[in-house]
This record gives sequence, structure tokens and C-alpha cells, in this order.
Amino acid sequence: MNSTVQKNKTWPVIFGILGVIVMILPFFSGPYIQSIGRTVITYMILAISWDMLIRSGQLSFGLAGFFGLGSYAAVLSAVNLHFNPFISIVFAALVAGLIAFLVGAVVLRLRGMYFAITTLALGEIFRIIIHNWTSLTGGPNGKLLPKLAFDGASIPTYAMMVLFALIIIALSEYFKRSRIHYALTAIRDNEIVAKSSGINIYKYLLIAFTVTAAIQGAAGAGFAQLYGFVTPESSFNANYTLIPLAMTLLGGMYSTWGPVIGAVLLGVLGEFLKLYIPYGHLVVYGIIIILVLLFMPWGIVGMAGRLLKKGESHE
Amino acid sequence: MSKKLSALTMMLIVLFSSVFFLTSCKGKEEKPAEPIKFGGIWPLGDITGDQAAKAAQLVVDELNANGGLMGRPVELIVIDSELNPEKGAAAVERLATVEKVDFFVGGMSSGVHLGQIPALKKYKKVTMWTGAASSTAETAVGEGQDWYFHLHPWDYNQGNSYVEGWDDIAAKFSNISIDRWFLAYEEGPFGSASFAATQTLFSDMEIDGEAFQSAALGGGDYTAVLQRAKDYNPDVFIWAGYAADALPIMEQAKAVNFTPPLFIGAPPGWPSDFGDSALAENVTLYGMWAPSISKVSAVSKKFQDAYEAKYGETPATYFAPLGYTSIEIIAKAVEAAGSVETEAVIKALKAIQYESPLGETISFSPSNVISNQGFRNQKILQWQNGNQEVIWPFEFATAEPAYPFTR
Repeated sequence: MNSTVQKNKTWPVIFGILGVIVMILPFFSGPYIQSIGRTVITYMILAISWDMLIRSGQLSFGLAGFFGLGSYAAVLSAVNLHFNPFISIVFAALVAGLIAFLVGAVVLRLRGMYFAITTLALGEIFRIIIHNWTSLTGGPNGKLLPKLAFDGASIPTYAMMVLFALIIIALSEYFKRSRIHYALTAIRDNEIVAKSSGINIYKYLLIAFTVTAAIQGAAGAGFAQLYGFVTPESSFNANYTLIPLAMTLLGGMYSTWGPVIGAVLLGVLGEFLKLYIPYGHLVVYGIIIILVLLFMPWGIVGMAGRLLKKGESHE
Repeated sequence: MSKKLSALTMMLIVLFSSVFFLTSCKGKEEKPAEPIKFGGIWPLGDITGDQAAKAAQLVVDELNANGGLMGRPVELIVIDSELNPEKGAAAVERLATVEKVDFFVGGMSSGVHLGQIPALKKYKKVTMWTGAASSTAETAVGEGQDWYFHLHPWDYNQGNSYVEGWDDIAAKFSNISIDRWFLAYEEGPFGSASFAATQTLFSDMEIDGEAFQSAALGGGDYTAVLQRAKDYNPDVFIWAGYAADALPIMEQAKAVNFTPPLFIGAPPGWPSDFGDSALAENVTLYGMWAPSISKVSAVSKKFQDAYEAKYGETPATYFAPLGYTSIEIIAKAVEAAGSVETEAVIKALKAIQYESPLGETISFSPSNVISNQGFRNQKILQWQNGNQEVIWPFEFATAEPAYPFTR
């Protein structure tokens, strides 16, 4: 028993140290690695936020919608209200969170595929509104930011994204340790039992949906501040839904570290493959994802956990 | 003992010094000249980027076969932008800081380019861009960026050239009428923007339009739009969608017996086998280049022959000659300047008169925002007997317009 407790404490420490090294290394590796690092962190944040909601059993395909909404909120507030980059990111999170709260109040009555399809449609509705509201959003041509965060300097922008990632990791870990986690897990396992145990299902789902949408909106705002533009095509791109999903599935669902590991591995692997297989790297990338999902359905963290348990039971 | 030790130390010093001296001399003698490096960023998964990168490599091979540039070998390092702004921006960072290239070339999508512009502005290396038509990208580059050279026409250049082209055609061929237009456009940003631009540019004409869902995005039924267009009875029918719509829209137009006098397709790229279909006959299109231009331009022919000899295929998109141009025009400027220094190359590029494989001889001059704009016109082409023939500008015309459109 003692050894189990010791091992359970050792692994998070090892993961933590590795994580810190991975996040610190790019500070000493030049603008290219920092650029890759910023992209990996953006997807990591989206992956964690998706995982935070899937812990309740609610499958959302609305990541790209809230990401795009956040990126537009940040650019429009910076252009029209002259908000500084950080205030614009906070503002974008609030806008995305508020809209998620209002929409969630209606759509969180839905479950399973119905909820998933509704969130997918929501993203498309946001994109169509932005696309057609030309006087405010610039329509299909989008909008430019007059000034980038830290004037686009590599190290401070990377540091900003690292700080952002640490806050989201901490928030996700807080979710895992708070009563919200038990409520969401109970809802996922058996909604009727959860309800009969006195859990206010609707309230907890609404909290999770609002918080995760706010995170996705903030990630979109961070993207806009890094690259200085928004267009409906780029900001609402389906990649912002699909890649974080693949990262979470690779790393392992229902944990903070699964999406983190999945994002680092897939992000770095994608770039590595591109450099060494310029033609056809996306095919290899896709095959790797399919193989991992086929043979490691629990993801890396899930598989590691199972192996550890197996090892302990042999002892 | 101490004498022996001193002698041994002296011998070792002499030995190491000799080895070091010989090695450094040998190193100086055999050290090859540093290559002049071009960094290319194109979407390699797309035919436009694939062929542009191949054409760019063709120039590099030609330069090296002729002794390089200023006696130095030339190297092209291409990175896939994956049609993704973040990946495109990371490619700029890698080429600038890891590969340490002298020049940037590349480009196709405006969205990707918007993400790359902050990074390009950071390094201010001479940049020769083959893509990005959106004037938003021009605004993002901004004024006073002398290192930035843009080959592809901006969206307003393209629009103006269409108006000019159709006015010229209608003036020359009195039987061609262009007063009543109908635009069928895919409901996404590309199609909607095309419709808005057409309404603005041809505001003195009668224009109507309707959206359809592109086959590329799960649609593919155009019969309602085509029926409405048929009822409208336009002089000119244009569809703005994607390559996936090209053949189905022709088949369905035939099914509903819709034969407008001018049938124009305006997708960003055509299916490679579209010309093989009988339905392609007499369809009009826009583009900067077609293999038929080789009939009227020796430079185009030289490029096309070299490309076909090296890759065993005919270049199917105008991004191939644009990719070729992007490297060759810088190479000529480097030769003229006798240097790869940014200021000297910029000065040489600003003075250049370059005979391009796209037909035109170009020089750089200011556009609405930037200082160095190259091409300003698209061409009006028409499928005739399986080939894209140029019908406008008349100086590059390889055929007269087939009119009216018939099956």
C-alpha cells in the first residue's frame, strides 16, 4: 500500500519536471522552436478545455466556434475600444463565456449526439454571422490588428503562452480536485443516479460549458494577438476542433496530462515529419493517429496507468 | 628527466602546431563557396504549391548548371505551409533563423500569408511573393516595406482587368453582348466575395445571382440555381466555386438545357482532366497563364519545355511559371547588383525589366499600398479543343473567342 502511494506521488512529480523542461527548453532554442511552442500550446489549451467538458460525458464539437468568436472579440475590442492585448484576451474570454452561458442554458438540455451536432452547428452559425456582418467584422476579408502583443517578439509571446498554459493546467487540476469533478463524473457514469443523489446536473454542465468556452475564446484571442489578423476562414477553421480532439485521444481522456502529452507529441511529430517527408507527411501523420487510436484506445496516460496498476498488482 | 619532459612537450607543441597549420591551410583551400539560399514556402499538398516549388527548383538547377550565382552555388529549401497560417509563420522563422536563407519566395493563400506577414516584417529579407490576392494582405504589409515584392495581382487588380478585358472583347467583337450577368456562387467566403466584387465592378450592368452549396463542401445539386439563371436569360453566366463543381455544373447545365452565350467558370483551380471532357468546350475562364501562351511567347516556351523535360508533365497551373519567376527575377537582380546585400538587390529589382514565362515583361511599381507590385492583370482564357486558349489580352491571344457558347 505504501509503495503504491509513493508511486502515485512520484509519477506526477516526474510528469511535472518533464513538463517544466519541455516548456522551458524553447526559451533557449530560438524563434523557430518558440513559434512551434506557441502553436503547440494553443492546441494544448483547446485540448484541455475539450477534456474538461468531456469529463461530464458531453461531447462538444464547438471548439472552433468559440475559438473564432474569441479571436474576433479580441481584435474588434483592440481596434474599436483600444483595449491592450491582455485586456482584449480577458474580454474575449468573457464574451465567449457569456455567449456559451446563454446558449448553454438552452442546448444543455440535449445529450449525446444531439448535443454534439448542436455545438457543431453553433460554430457554423457564429462563422456565418461574422462573415455577413461586414460593417463590424470586415466580412470575408476579416480584420487586422494595428499592433501585436509585445510587437510580436518571440520570447515574450512564448512566455505569455506558457503562462496561459500553466493557468489552464492549474484550472483543469482544480476542476479534477473540486466537487465539480465528482459531479461531472457522476453525470457521465449515470445521470439518473447522479440526479437522485441530489446533484444539480444542469448547473454543473452549465458551469463546465461556460468555463471551457471561455478558455477556447481566450485561446482564439491569444492566436489573434500572436498573428495579428482574423478572417472567418482562418479563425473558424475546423482544425481547431479536430486537432485538439486527436491530441486528447492520443494522450488520454479524462485527465489534465493526457491532452498535455498528446499536444506535445502530435505537435512536435507533425513538424518533424514535415521537415523530413516534405511530400506526404500528412498521410504518415494520419496513419500514426489511426494506429494509435486502434491499438491504444485509452491513450498514453491511460495505458501508462494500466501498466502501472498491473506492475503494482504483481508486486 | 625534466629535459626529456621539456623536449617531449616541445615536440608535441610542434606536432600539434603543424597539424593545426596544415589542417587550417587545407580547410581554406577546400572550403566550398557558401551557397546563396532561397527559402520557399508553398502548400505542397496542393497542385499550385507543388508545381510552383518544382518550377522554382528548375531555375535553381539551371543556375547551378551554369556555374551558380556570382560563382556561388544556389540552394532552395522548401517548407510546406500546409495551408495553415501558424505553420506558414513557423516556416518563415525556420528559414530565417535555422536555414539562414538570403531570400524568401513562395505563397498561395491569403489567409496563410496574413499569418506570415508579422514574421516576414521581423527579418525584412528580400521577399518575392507568388500568391495572396487579398488586399487585406496588402494592408497588413503596409507602406514603406521596400524589401517586399508581390508578383500576383491584388484582388482589385484582377477585378479591374476583368472589366477591361470584357470591355475590350465587347468593343472588338460587336456580336458579343455583356449587358446582363448572372453569377452562381458557392455560399462560402470565396463565392460570396466574388459575387460582391462582381456587383461592384460591373455596377453599370444588370446583375443577379444565387448561392449554391459546393460539391467540395457536401453539396453538388445546382439545378435550382441553373434553372433560375436560365429564366433570367443572361448574356454572361459565371459560376464561382471550386474544382469539384466544374464537371457536375456542366453536366447539370446540359441536363436543364441551359446554354448562355458566355459560360464562364471562375474556380481557383480546375480539375486536371477537365479539358478532356467534351463538356469543357467553349467554357471561358480566368488565369495568368496557360500552356498555349508558349505559342506566342518564346520565354514561356523555354520554361514549359524545361519543366516538361525535367518532370514529365505539363504545368497545369499558373503558379508554376510564377514559382519560376520568383527565383529567376531575384537571380537576375543579384547578378545586376553583384551582391546579395538586401539594399543592393532591392535597388536592382526596382530597376529590372523582366521577361517572364507568363508572357508579360514586368517591372515593379507601387500599387494601392505597397511599393513593389509586379503583375496586374489576369488573362481571359477559353477551353477550345481540350486546350486553354488566350482570348484576352489581344497581344497574347492564341485564338478568337468562340461565341456563342454551344454544346
